[in-house]
Amino acid sequence: MDDHREQRGADGEGAGPRSIVSPRPGEAQRVGGVARESPESALGAAGGVEGAPRPPDEGRRRGRRRWAGAGISYAVTIFALVTLNFLLPRAMPGDPIDALLAQGSSGFVFGEEARAELEEYYGLDRSLAAQYGQYLTGLARGDLGRSIVTNTPVWDELARRLPWTLLLIVSAALVSTVVGLVAGVHSGWRRDRPMDRALMTMLLALREFPPYLLGSLLLYVFAVKLGWLPLFGAETPFSGAFSPVERVVDVGRHLLLPLLVLSVGLTAGNYLIMRAGMVGELGSDYLLLGRAKGLRERRLKYRYVARNALLPLVSLTAIQLGFALTAVVLIERVFSYPGLGRLLFEAIAVRDYPIIQGAFLLISVGVVTINAVADALYRRLDPRTAP
Amino acid sequence: MSAQTSAPVEVAREAEPGPDQATEPERRRRSPLLVVGLGLLGLVLLVALIASLLTPHDPRAISGAALEEPSAGHPLGTDVPGRDIFAQLVFGARTSLTVATVSASLAMAGALLFGVLPALVGGAADSVSNRLMVFLLALPGLPLLVLVGSLAGESHLVVIVLIGFLGIAPNARILRSQTLALVQRGFISASQGFGGGPLYVLRRHLVPALGPLILVGFVNWAGLAVALEAGLAFLGLGDPSGISWGLMLNRALAQPSIYFSPMWTWWVLPAGLAVTFTVLAFTFVGVALEPSFNPRWLRSS
Repeated sequence: MDDHREQRGADGEGAGPRSIVSPRPGEAQRVGGVARESPESALGAAGGVEGAPRPPDEGRRRGRRRWAGAGISYAVTIFALVTLNFLLPRAMPGDPIDALLAQGSSGFVFGEEARAELEEYYGLDRSLAAQYGQYLTGLARGDLGRSIVTNTPVWDELARRLPWTLLLIVSAALVSTVVGLVAGVHSGWRRDRPMDRALMTMLLALREFPPYLLGSLLLYVFAVKLGWLPLFGAETPFSGAFSPVERVVDVGRHLLLPLLVLSVGLTAGNYLIMRAGMVGELGSDYLLLGRAKGLRERRLKYRYVARNALLPLVSLTAIQLGFALTAVVLIERVFSYPGLGRLLFEAIAVRDYPIIQGAFLLISVGVVTINAVADALYRRLDPRTAP
Repeated sequence: MSAQTSAPVEVAREAEPGPDQATEPERRRRSPLLVVGLGLLGLVLLVALIASLLTPHDPRAISGAALEEPSAGHPLGTDVPGRDIFAQLVFGARTSLTVATVSASLAMAGALLFGVLPALVGGAADSVSNRLMVFLLALPGLPLLVLVGSLAGESHLVVIVLIGFLGIAPNARILRSQTLALVQRGFISASQGFGGGPLYVLRRHLVPALGPLILVGFVNWAGLAVALEAGLAFLGLGDPSGISWGLMLNRALAQPSIYFSPMWTWWVLPAGLAVTFTVLAFTFVGVALEPSFNPRWLRSS
């Protein structure tokens, strides 16, 4: 039991950084394998060797301590991200004012006096600790500074873009979960048949396509050659004049291609974990009993086996929201989709550091928070890991 | 230069699944994925090696008019200042392979240092480094890369090192767990009993025993590094004067009319496919090696 939990924690967190671009097949399999693996077979896996059998009482207490431990470790991670966001610009060579007013931006500083004024404004003439305190209190009030280019508060910019990104990642998570589930159930049920192999190869290969190529390809075909879908943006300009129904259709048409590209990246992971879950259940006694009772194949497949194999998928879906949040950085650029990723890209182009830092903070804290929720969700849902 | 650094790795990769691994069923080693993957990698390596023979143009130099169409002189036309696109494509292979090998080597060296060595020493060293790795794993990679990349300015090296750095934690976790299992085995304690220090045991026993896992980790991270580097360059990070597939895509898609002219087919497509096939090749090799090496896969199958 302890082994099991230890492992789950390790691999669950592991899904974060591995998923920078796309989780690898082996990794996904591993996550999939872990969830239903019995403690005895966990020897080769992370931390598997440490846990010796314990009396049930102690296990329970350890479990509760683990809950607290996981919470603390996520809090520490978020605090570290906040601190990194403060320290990194200061650790880089060069003066922060130079960096803030990099070439190309409108705020070039003339003369020592103006520079001193700016240093005072940003509090750079004070000690590092004082600056850090100021940064933290500002952060607590939601103050992320102002954009260098537009001079609007960074938080306002982020808040304006966030809904589009949320729309994109939540819908992609839904689509990829449903598709991955159905494909995984089908594939795992008929393991090693041609259909299984075809699905496996196709989904794994599709996932390795960089989102920019796939996106660009889809745009070329559907927006340019066929002219069915819009080429960029999230809405038609001046769509305020549309009726509500027309607006929904308009937003949907703009959403379709980015959604497709993002979903392709996410589906493979869902598919693999669902397939692994199905395969793991196939030899079970209840299945034999169900067959002996004469239950229909369909009922057995979805009501019995898939239901038992579903658990890992739930937490993976949550983890994937975090992955999607980072993948949109690339995808939104291709489709000029006006979300956080696009904002980040625009800010990089003009080196608008306050915006870059604000977006970094929002995205990375979002990813860690989502992972923490996924972790907690899993612990709650799986009676074997619940304390 | 990149070609030289990656050459020994290529050899090692082909040598590993050789006949001495007799425990494995033959069909695994002959997996078509491995053949296709190694073939593609060989092709990319070859292109990188003989890049200067393939094109007379310097990828950085202006060698024609702006946005020329493909011709005998410029097989894929030219970009905005008039640089040869085909030259950028073939020299881009060097960049990608360099990034792949350097980043993956860094990642695996770090994984040995922070995963295997502490596990061997045990005690506080192990628990501290394990905590550290768990913490690093929780950091979101791409946002971090973007932040550091944009702060570091026009440096390619920072990107390479950072990609390698991000690879340490996941690989250290895998290698550590395997080491913990290995340390229980007789030959390690025998060696330690005869006075073998941690470094000796690491070099003499653990690296050979972990070799397959290290190789798989290396290949997987190399593929990821290619994709990451291209993605970052695509976003406009890294050295803007460098030669890279991601940078080609960045420049191409910055053309407002790119989709409405045939340019798309000779500018976006080749660069995008080059990234895709290189990443796919690494993935194929990684996937093909994994089942034959990973003990957990063996048990389950």
